[in-house]
Formats: sequence, C-alpha cells, structure tokens
Amino acid sequence: MKLSMPEMPPATLLTALSNYNLLPAIVFLPTRRRCDQAASEAATMRRDSNDKRREERRDFLRSFVEQNPEIRGHRHWDTIIRGGVASHHAGHIPGWKLVIEKMMSAGLLDAIFATATVAAGVDFPARTVVLTVADARGNQGWRPLTASELQQMTGRAGRRGRDNVGFVVVAPGIHQDPERIAELLKSPPDPLVSQFRATYTTLLNLLDAFGSFAQVRQIAERSFAHRNAATDIVRLERAQVEMEQTILGKVKASGCDLNLSSVTGFERLVSARSQLQDSKPQTRAEMFYRWLDEQVLPGRVVGIGRTGRRLVLVTEKRDGNVRGIREDGRSASFGVERIGRVYSPTYRLKEDFVEEAFEDVRTRGRELVLHEPRLKDARAEDSAALQVFDDSLDSILPKHLNADEKQKCTEILWSVLSEADELHQTVRRIESLRDEVWAPFEQRARVLSMFGYLDFVAEKTTERGRWLADLHVDRPLLIGQALENGLFNHLSFSHLAAIIAALTADEDRDYGELELEDPLVKALAQIEEIAFTVSTEEWKQGIEPAPELNFSAAAATANWATGMEWSDLVDETRAEEGDLFRMLSRTGEALLQIAGLRKAHPRAAQTASIAADAVLREPVR
Amino acid sequence: MRSKHRGSRDRRGGGNKSHRGERVPENKRREEISDRGPAPALTRDVRKLLEGIGTPKAATFKPDPFQTEALAALEFEDVLVTAPTGSGKTWIAREEIRRLIAAGKRAWYTTPLKALTNSKYQEFTAEFGASQVGILTGDRKENSDAPVIVGTTEIYRNQLFDSLRGGEDVRTDLVILDEAHYLADEDRGHVWEEAIILTPPRIRLLLLSATIGNANQFASWIEEVRGVKCGVITRPGARPVPLRVALLLPDKRLLPLLDDNGRLNGEVRVLVERAREDRNERSARFGRRSRRRFYE
Repeated sequence: MKLSMPEMPPATLLTALSNYNLLPAIVFLPTRRRCDQAASEAATMRRDSNDKRREERRDFLRSFVEQNPEIRGHRHWDTIIRGGVASHHAGHIPGWKLVIEKMMSAGLLDAIFATATVAAGVDFPARTVVLTVADARGNQGWRPLTASELQQMTGRAGRRGRDNVGFVVVAPGIHQDPERIAELLKSPPDPLVSQFRATYTTLLNLLDAFGSFAQVRQIAERSFAHRNAATDIVRLERAQVEMEQTILGKVKASGCDLNLSSVTGFERLVSARSQLQDSKPQTRAEMFYRWLDEQVLPGRVVGIGRTGRRLVLVTEKRDGNVRGIREDGRSASFGVERIGRVYSPTYRLKEDFVEEAFEDVRTRGRELVLHEPRLKDARAEDSAALQVFDDSLDSILPKHLNADEKQKCTEILWSVLSEADELHQTVRRIESLRDEVWAPFEQRARVLSMFGYLDFVAEKTTERGRWLADLHVDRPLLIGQALENGLFNHLSFSHLAAIIAALTADEDRDYGELELEDPLVKALAQIEEIAFTVSTEEWKQGIEPAPELNFSAAAATANWATGMEWSDLVDETRAEEGDLFRMLSRTGEALLQIAGLRKAHPRAAQTASIAADAVLREPVR
Repeated sequence: MRSKHRGSRDRRGGGNKSHRGERVPENKRREEISDRGPAPALTRDVRKLLEGIGTPKAATFKPDPFQTEALAALEFEDVLVTAPTGSGKTWIAREEIRRLIAAGKRAWYTTPLKALTNSKYQEFTAEFGASQVGILTGDRKENSDAPVIVGTTEIYRNQLFDSLRGGEDVRTDLVILDEAHYLADEDRGHVWEEAIILTPPRIRLLLLSATIGNANQFASWIEEVRGVKCGVITRPGARPVPLRVALLLPDKRLLPLLDDNGRLNGEVRVLVERAREDRNERSARFGRRSRRRFYE
C-alpha cells in the first residue's frame, strides 16, 4: 500500500538525519536530474560552518586534479566544498565519480544523492541508506523494486570497521511504500537466472575450435539455461517410457497383435482426420464469410446488404473491416459480413476511374457478379478426403485378421487413443526442449553461411569467418559486411569513428544535433543499405531485428575525433558527460578491434588505429 | 517542485495530527549544520532503534570464519562465495593470489566493469608490486605477461576462445570471477556462462557473488560442466554490519519500521491502514461518478 507523504526538501532531510546522528548517508533518488537538483539545493540551503572541513574538501579536490585534469572546474565543484554533499550517477564521468567515492570514504562528505547505479560494483558505503521511492525505472517505465535491487542498496548501509550499526531510512515520498519495503527486506534474494544466448562471435569461435556443429551443440547444452531443460527432458523421457508400457500392456491384455507404431500411427491419423473436419466450414454462413474474406479486395466493387444494391468501391481491407468509396463519392467503412455481392473486375484506385468503375458495374452488373460456392460442393470434396483417411485407418491393422479380430483390435485402438495422444505430446515436448538451446545457433549459422563466413554443409568456418571470429564487437556481421564491401577503405579516420559510433551507441540515446558532413551522410546511407541486407536475412531465419543506427552519436563522434574540446562537445551536444564518455569509450574499443585485423583488412585496420587514438584521448581513456 | 509539495502538505495539515509539519516554511529557513537544534526527545522505541550507533573501537583485523573457510576449501576445489558487497570477499581472493605468487603460480581476476578493474589493478599493484600485476580491458593493455592479470570478463572469455582455436593453454592457475551474479545480466550474462564452461578443469575457479537464492543449484551446475567439485561458502548472518530499518515522517520524527517480531510497527500500521481507507473511499466515490457519466 502506497503511503503517499510529501517529499522533504533535501536540506530538511539531512537535518532530520543529522538530529539522529545518522550521517553520512546515501540518499537514493529515482532520476539523475533529481540527484543533481537535490545536491545543489541542499548545498544552497545548508552551509557547513566548519571551515576546516571545507578546506579539507578543497584540498582534496585540488590534489585530485593533478591526476584527473578533466574534473577541474566541474559544475558541482562549489556544491561539494560548500555543502559537503554530492550527486553520483551514470551521467558523470568516471573520474568525477571516483573523486566522490574517495571523498566519501575519507569522511569528507555528509551525503550523496545517487541513482540505483551506485548500488552496483564499487564498494562505497555510508552509515545510512535513505530510500525515497519503492519503485525503480525499468525499460518500460516504472516498476516495483526487486528484492535483489533493494538488497544491493541496503548493502551500502553500515561501514565495516567504522559503524557498529547500519541504517535504512524509509523517507517521505509521493510513491513511498513502507509496507512493501518491509516485505522485500524479508524476502529471500532472487535466484540467479541464466541469460545464455547464441551470438555470431561465440558460434564462429566454437565452430572454428571444434570443427563440427555437434560439438558446438554439446557446449551449448552444457549451459546453465539448458541444465533446467535437461532435468525436464529426463523427467519427460521417464514419463514417455511409462506411457508406452501402459499402452502396450492394454493392447496385450486384449489379445491383439499390435505394436506401438500401429497405436501411434492410428492416433496421428485420427487426429489429422478431426483437424480436417474442424477446418472445413460446417454452415453456409461460415462458408460464405470465408469466401467473402478471400474475394473482397481493394479495387473491387461490392454490393452491401442482402440485396447488394448499394455499391462501394473497396480501397482497403484489414482484419475483416472494409473501407471504400460510395457512388456519391463519400467514404464508407463496414464489416465484411455486411457485403452481399462481389463483382469480379479489379478497377484502378485513381480518382478519375472511380466513376467509370461504378458505370461499368451498373451496366454489366449481372454478368460481373461472382458466384458464391455451394456448401454441397464443398462437402462432397471433404467426404472424399475423409474416405481416404478411413481407408488408411483400416490398413493399420494386420492383414491376416478376420472380421471379428479386426473389430476387437479397432476397439482397443480407440480405447488407448487418449494415452497415445499424450505420448505424442510428450515426444514433441522433448524434441522442442532439445532444440531450444541449439535452434538460435543454427539460425545464426544459416545467416553466416549466406554471407560466406561459414560453410553450413561442411560445418566449417571459412577464411572470412576466421577473421570475423576475432572481431569482438557488438554487431560483428554488419561490420564484417562493411569491411568485406570495402566500405571503410576510403573513409577518413573521423568518419570511420563516426560510423562505428552510430553502430555502437544505444539506439534511443540523444547526443545532440551536430551537423553531419556530406561524405559521412553518404557512408551512413551505405551502412544502412548493408544493415538492411543483413537484417533481411536475419529476419528470414527468425532472428530479431538489430537496433537502428544512431546518427546523433555519429555527428558527436566525428567532431570529437577531429579535435573538439571536451567542454565544447558537452555544451554543444547537451548530452550528459557520462553518456558521452561511455559512448566514445565503447566506440574506441570497437575501433581497436578493427585495428586488430591487420592481415585481413590492412587498410581499414590502419584507419581504425588512427581513429581509435583520436577517440581515446583525455578524458576518454 | 518544492512549492508543489508544500502546497499539498498544507492542505493535509489539518487532518492528521501526527502528520502535521512545522508551520515555518522550510525554504525561509537556512539549515545550519553546526546548529542542529535541540536533540529530539527519544521514545523508548527510538532509543532502542538507535542503540549502539557510532564507530567501533579500532580493532586489529581478524578474518571472518567464512573467509578462512573459503581459503581452506580453495586448496581442494572450486569455490562459490556468496556474501553482500563490503563483507570481505576480495580479501579471500587477495590472500589466495598471495599464496599463488609465492608458489610461482598465476592468477586471472575478472570483473564486469572497467571502473572496478581499474580499482582492483591499483589495489593489487599496491599490494604485490607493479611488476607482478597487469591489466587488460577493451582499451587498456599493460604488463600483460605479469603473473596476476586483472581484466574484464569479456577479455578473459576471448582469451579462452583464442586458446581453444590455437591449441595453447590459458596461462593461469586460478580464475576469479568477481560479481559472478552478472551471469544473470540480460545482455552480457552469456559471457560468464561461456567463461565457466570453457575454463579447463585444471584451472581453479573462485566465484565471488552477491547473495543469490539458488547458490547450491548454481554450484552443482558448475560441478557438472567442469567435473570438479565446487563448494559453496555463504557468509552466515548475511551482513558484516547489522542493519536496522526506520521510517522518517514528514515532521522529522523517526520511528522503527518493524516491531520485535519483524512485522510493521504499530504506529506505521495505523498510517498504512489509514492510507488504504482513504484510497478505498476515493475509488468508491470516483467509481460512482464514472458510472453515472456512462449512463448519461
């Protein structure tokens, strides 16, 4: 139950905590912006009158600048010195975060306003952890905190050797929920769940190392994910044997000479027969509707109502709904089932031809009407097919039986039908469990084979596949294809950096609107073309589409690689420093990977090496 | 932003006595750190909640039993240590590395984050000397032949790939997977599984993980795929420093969140019940109105 309480101004919150001797504290806030606001607000409202501590903080920061010049003149510099508070989140560059962490462990800060990211990784404790919401921001908006997330946060409360006790303070907030937090604190930690998946890199490396799909499959089946499937498979296989024995026992008891495959074959036939019957229309209305759905197409004229007198030219049909133009030129929209007649010609859907279409139908109406099928005809077709099934059912029984025995055996086959059906489902389930881990690898193997990186039939990596295996980047196939098409051979180093940034950056993050130079726009268009070819093949194999290119990242990176100042880059892109840093650092790493392909792609490798140096300069190291 | 909250507080002000805030608007007052104001009168509950707060007397470091236990187990088998951050998992790794260096052997320490890799690199160079330690990340490669390598899990996995394809052995005797619970990371988790599956059984594994719900299941999977025994060491009592939970009210009063039986404390329960009644009443009123609108 949410206990909605007005949030405290950050300075008031700190005073309250200080009254109970609960500082230093890490205050968790839901967004980066809120952290920054809270820190500067707290610093304005409260003032550390302890001159000595203020001096210590100033000295600390100054001493850090020598090693990390990029933090000089940081916009939160004064906030920290004056108020003894700081914000800490992924929007800051690592150098700055490190200063904050060090100042905190040196005991120079009273509070840190942080997002949940501080909860991961680096050891960074305080006496008290303050929670202001019981929710977390997920990929799709807000969602409740999980037990493990809360545990990561509360894990920061209490400094080993410096606190006898650590505290979690549930503070007032609009979305506060003490009841749930109490609940989560009691719940056991979340279990570790496997996220094993197939990637091009893993597939190429394993295939090159082991030389057959069977061995790659064996490795995939050793994954933690498959382990659960494996226990299920063992259980199902045991159930399968039991079912088979039950069925055979019943058959034997009846004195019929039938083997298991007759029983399962019979079940398959019966099931197929009933599927055929189900899929056939049973009433005239049903049949008519299906026929309409097939025949009503854009460009055809239809008559509405039972008499079909009101005419409409169909322009669009979707999910059983039709849109069209009436004779008076107005638009109409209605369900397929309201149509009584369909005329055969398909007319052009241009304004000039609409009148002609209606004229044609009015004059030649009768001869153009399509005839609906008759139920009797459809049924006759069916019964012929059903007869074939019935004959096959008969032929399952051994030939030498006399009429009585046949009768008895047919009866026993019918009596074990549901067991046979269950057996069939079990076998199917075992097969699909077996394929679950392997299937995504096979899909990728087919795609790689399409582009010549491996030979699917020979189960071998090609020469091309071997250098691609060495390319440890996020989207190896796309970059591989660009290399293979010589796209990188004539690019300047800054444009190469820009393209790699467009591929590496998070698709939905904005890095401002700096301008793209013409040759870069052209190169990005070529990359998009390659991306389209690649994702078309992937789509055919059922692989999810790759993210879009990030053009704003490309523009920012091109500017950075050609020497723009860090502070200018931050100003002009209006992106957060931490986001820029991460994007550029990942781009630099990907460039270093390409630079490693000296043998296969010497020219691109050389450009990439220069580009990497240009991107990985201070403060991006 | 702040004024909006204040507005809503003033409206509620008359309703609930225990909720009533101070009448002086906060933004008119400057909070002075030195001027804490009178210490709040502490009820018995709150005194108990805060009992023992403060800094312990400096004590000489003595390893926890779970740390020595883990170290002992490493002589014979792989070890999975689950304990919260800050409870001394790294100490185990560091002591084992010390032992290996003394014996002329090698170790690979993997972390999921570059920041963590850098800080471990600093820590280990300070501890064992710069010549003994190297670092490998996506954009940093220093002293890569050193007996102790610190690096990202991805780089270690890539080395495994290279060694499998080139037929050479990975040159290490121990692999430490720090933050091993990253195995459950949606994007990168598969790298941890590959590293565990592909590490040759002759190399000892030490996995350091946050507390997880299925440590035994995880360890028995490692045993299965590697054919080496894998022990589980969990820090008893879970936390190195005891934890207490409090609720802070808008009037700056502190309450223990839980009672002695671990249920919501009486006063908190009253607040929650009142919020629930409020909501039910509101939704009943809102429900009637929306129905009426529907029929009109």
